[in-house]
Amino acid sequence: MRLLVAFAVIYFISISPVFADNTASTIAIPTPAIESPLASKSLLLDISLIGQEKLITVGQHGHILLSNDGEKWQQANVPVQVTLTNVFFLNDQLGWAVGHDATILHSQDGGLNWQVQQYLPLLEKPLFDIYFKNPQQGIAVGAYGQVFRSNDGGITWKNEFHQEMLLADDVEYLNELKAEDEAAYLDEITFILPHFNGLVQDGDSLFLLGETGLLARSDDFGLTWQQFDNFYQGSFFSLARTQTGNVLVVGLRGHVFRSLNNGSQWDEIPTNTTALLNDIVFANDERIFILGNNGMLLISTDDGESFSKRPQQDGKTLIAGVWFKGKLIAVSDVGIKVVDLSQQ
Amino acid sequence: MKISLANRIEVGLFRHKLLVLMLFIITSAFFLFQATQIRLDASFTKNIPLNHSYMKTYLKHRTNFGGANNILISVCDSNGDIFNADFFNALKGVHDKLFFIPGVDRIQVKSLFSPSTRFVEVVEDGFAGGPVIPADFQPTEKGLGVVKSNIEKAGIVGSIVADDYSCAMVKAALLEFNPDTGEKLDTLEIAEKLEQEVRQEFERDNISVHIIGFAKMVGDVAEGAKGVVLFFALAIAITAVMVYIFCHSIRLTILPILCSLVAVVWQMGMLSSLGFGLDPMSILIPFLVFAIGVSHGVQMINSVVKKVATGLTPASAAQASFRALLIPGGVALLSDTVGFLTLLSIDIGIIKELAITASIGVAMIILTNLILLPVLLSFTKIKVSAKVGQLSEQSAVWNFMASFASKGPARIILFFTAILFVVGFYQGQGLKIGELHSGAPALHESSRYNQDTFLITDRYAISVDYMSVIIETSPDACTYYDTMSTIDRFQWQMENVAGVQSAVSLSSISKIVNAGYNEGNPKWRVIPRNQQTLVQSIARVPSSSGLLNSDCSVMPVILFLEDHKADTINTVIEAVKATAKELGSEKVQFKLASGPVGVMAATNEAVAEAQLPMMLYVYGAVIALCLISFRSVRATLVVVLPLYVVSTLAQWLMTALDIGLTVSTLPVIALGVGIGVDYGIYILSTMSTKLKEGMNVHDAYLEALKERGSAVLITGLTLAIGVSTWFFSYLKFQVDMGILLTFMFLVNMLAAIIILPALSAFLWSDKGNDKKQ
Repeated sequence: MRLLVAFAVIYFISISPVFADNTASTIAIPTPAIESPLASKSLLLDISLIGQEKLITVGQHGHILLSNDGEKWQQANVPVQVTLTNVFFLNDQLGWAVGHDATILHSQDGGLNWQVQQYLPLLEKPLFDIYFKNPQQGIAVGAYGQVFRSNDGGITWKNEFHQEMLLADDVEYLNELKAEDEAAYLDEITFILPHFNGLVQDGDSLFLLGETGLLARSDDFGLTWQQFDNFYQGSFFSLARTQTGNVLVVGLRGHVFRSLNNGSQWDEIPTNTTALLNDIVFANDERIFILGNNGMLLISTDDGESFSKRPQQDGKTLIAGVWFKGKLIAVSDVGIKVVDLSQQ
Repeated sequence: MKISLANRIEVGLFRHKLLVLMLFIITSAFFLFQATQIRLDASFTKNIPLNHSYMKTYLKHRTNFGGANNILISVCDSNGDIFNADFFNALKGVHDKLFFIPGVDRIQVKSLFSPSTRFVEVVEDGFAGGPVIPADFQPTEKGLGVVKSNIEKAGIVGSIVADDYSCAMVKAALLEFNPDTGEKLDTLEIAEKLEQEVRQEFERDNISVHIIGFAKMVGDVAEGAKGVVLFFALAIAITAVMVYIFCHSIRLTILPILCSLVAVVWQMGMLSSLGFGLDPMSILIPFLVFAIGVSHGVQMINSVVKKVATGLTPASAAQASFRALLIPGGVALLSDTVGFLTLLSIDIGIIKELAITASIGVAMIILTNLILLPVLLSFTKIKVSAKVGQLSEQSAVWNFMASFASKGPARIILFFTAILFVVGFYQGQGLKIGELHSGAPALHESSRYNQDTFLITDRYAISVDYMSVIIETSPDACTYYDTMSTIDRFQWQMENVAGVQSAVSLSSISKIVNAGYNEGNPKWRVIPRNQQTLVQSIARVPSSSGLLNSDCSVMPVILFLEDHKADTINTVIEAVKATAKELGSEKVQFKLASGPVGVMAATNEAVAEAQLPMMLYVYGAVIALCLISFRSVRATLVVVLPLYVVSTLAQWLMTALDIGLTVSTLPVIALGVGIGVDYGIYILSTMSTKLKEGMNVHDAYLEALKERGSAVLITGLTLAIGVSTWFFSYLKFQVDMGILLTFMFLVNMLAAIIILPALSAFLWSDKGNDKKQ
């Protein structure tokens, strides 16, 4: 699963993250998103609640859409056409969205209007998740182990290189390289870390999940990370704590793991599918849903001890979902979908 | 001068009657032989406006993105789904059969059974995959289960397998040349093989075979066109009955029909000698030639019989009739010919050929019906039938009609004509350009071909109505993010246009492949910023996909449309132009257009552009000929105004019947005017002579009716009957043409005997009334 990494290592790029902020100012101003009738019917990558009554979703071409009922969607004013991957709202008003070109957007009016906080196309890397614990302190993560941190509500963002996420072999290799060729070393570290696919807040802790079985926890808002023992080689895409306090993590090729003791031991839950699993959603009853590629939907009614398959007929990739007014509303490669939960 | 020339011709012809006859017989024998050599010609390029800018783009890139000549065969199982041994045997049979038809590009035959149909899945350490149908496939429950799961992994539902698993597809592309013979591929032969060797062989009980593609469509159209032979026989029979009712003499019935058939034979023979073939549109021209021939023949018989009734011998009656009719008949036929020749101004091969075919045919009638017929008549013993005389003396009817030329009734006629014209003009504004119905426009919606098309577009994620916008840029442009991103933005803006169902381009493929390289994670479904990653995402897309040329300096965005109705095409074309202006630059140029709908768009535009000039030319020609032959502006006006009213009403009819202005209906308007003018010319030629002699309008018209009235009526009916048999055609456009021509012929006749005299009543009124008083 290091295909892309390996590829990039061979043809590395002459941009150092240290100078990333400076290069940004020389980049052309991004093109604003245009209002498109099909925005709610095309690739959307994240959906989230603002308060209890409002939905927000983000996706390709800089689409950000708002809805009060999950049916009618209104397109927000967005200053970029970048593909957006994640949206997070701290409260009714303050929200952030991230996406490709290391873009970070911010809204102060409940998602209607957005401003660019960061746009670094020359980095050639996407961000995949963002989380603010209060209006000032936030952290964004993305591909190739990118971490950006802000302490001023996103006005300035600082890049962090988390060496502790390196594989043991890579540490040695990097040390040698640093001694031999400083420039090559700086290039190398921009692509050597695994992808960071998601950030999950859990009480006072943060979980980080990513490529090559990366699963880590931080108690100091991401300054330092403690990795769990490696129990899977593939990528993780979503993690959640169930109502009874157990932890579920899902990832590549239908893999679902469950821990009853906060991660010191993980049990694999058989799913009988090889679809990539994207997201975990809780209903307001005991049901737990896992959304996957090619229309895969897994349902558990026993706190994640077992899952049954309920694949969607149309086979569209279910990317993220929320439980909203008694319905599972998901986003997919064909936009908003109200997932069919009826028995087939 | 004119008279003396006509005289000299007359004297010369009738002095050497036998020689003339011999010449005609020899020439006819020669052309008859030639006519039997005529071939059916249905080439694709003939149907498109080759000089239109869209078509220049299309032709420029045709070698790279040809792909238009595809065959799609959907094999369906009516018992639910395809996963049973019977179905897989039939599918394999169809695949193998198609593979071995000469002219099919064997590399590109694609179905579940082709080795290139593979699935790929992402596993922890990379990719895994194999052919969808494994080498050891057995059609057992287990084997079929494996195939089913491979189909899902391969992502071919909607393209190779129907959305509901009820059908599977075999696709193939046709070569330009037959590899066995090295000759240009015979489309009709391929169509025949598809019907006989594929459909007939594998279609049974629960298995149905649905074939679409240009070659099959042409085959079905050619098959349908053969039906016109029957219509031709029917037209001859009905016409013969009509002529017999008119003249009550078998001999006099046979002669004009024979002469008209001679004209048809000459026309076909001449076409064949000139190297032209018959296509489904020009196959209709013999009908016209025959009908025009008979109608002029009837005028000739009418004249000869009347002259015999006055006591002349048949020989001198024929000679006198020749003299009387050479000028009006010649002018009428010449105006027909000119009317057809105006069609040459339209830059579409099939219409140009129609123009040549038709004008040759009408020119032949001048020889056969104005020369051969009187010569033959001069040999004939003619018994003056009491009936013919009576018809001309039916003064009650003629007297009533003659009142149209007096001011009172004329006022009423002109008032209603004006109302009809205004309403027709207003309603006719709704006339649409292009095809208004779904399916292949040449064929009826209920035809097997169109039903198959509907089935395939319904069950698969496939549309046959697509248009390619060609992006011309620099070599290796697909390795630059900026270019690919511009194409992506263009595609997205197009997808949002009403009427566009979906779109595909190298950019959209690159996004999906990029996600594939990243574990299938949809968050990576973007065009990679990194050049090496971008190269990786497109490296596996072959140029045979039709999405790029060999150095990717040219890439199309293929837009799949909901249908090919004129409104849809216009909306999309407008949107493409606007977006191309917004996103295009020197480096990245968006060019219209290729694909079936691109061709239709160009054709529609060419038809729209040709409409006005064609009308101007045809009316210009008619006006010029009237001015020359009548030397009177008034005479020209009374002939041309009714014609214009009828043209306007024809547009109203088209709007009301949902017939669009297309390659096949546009010529009808020119034909209708060119032939419609005949009635007016015949009536007015008598009228103007009488008027010059000092008769008033009413009496002059009465004289004209007595002399020509019944012949004009018969002419209109014969022409209308000839073309009305097309109503029953298997081909949709022949039906449309039949309806319009029948309307034009009948209503132009009515206009000539109703509106023309009414107009005359006012234009000649002073002089006429003065004399009378």
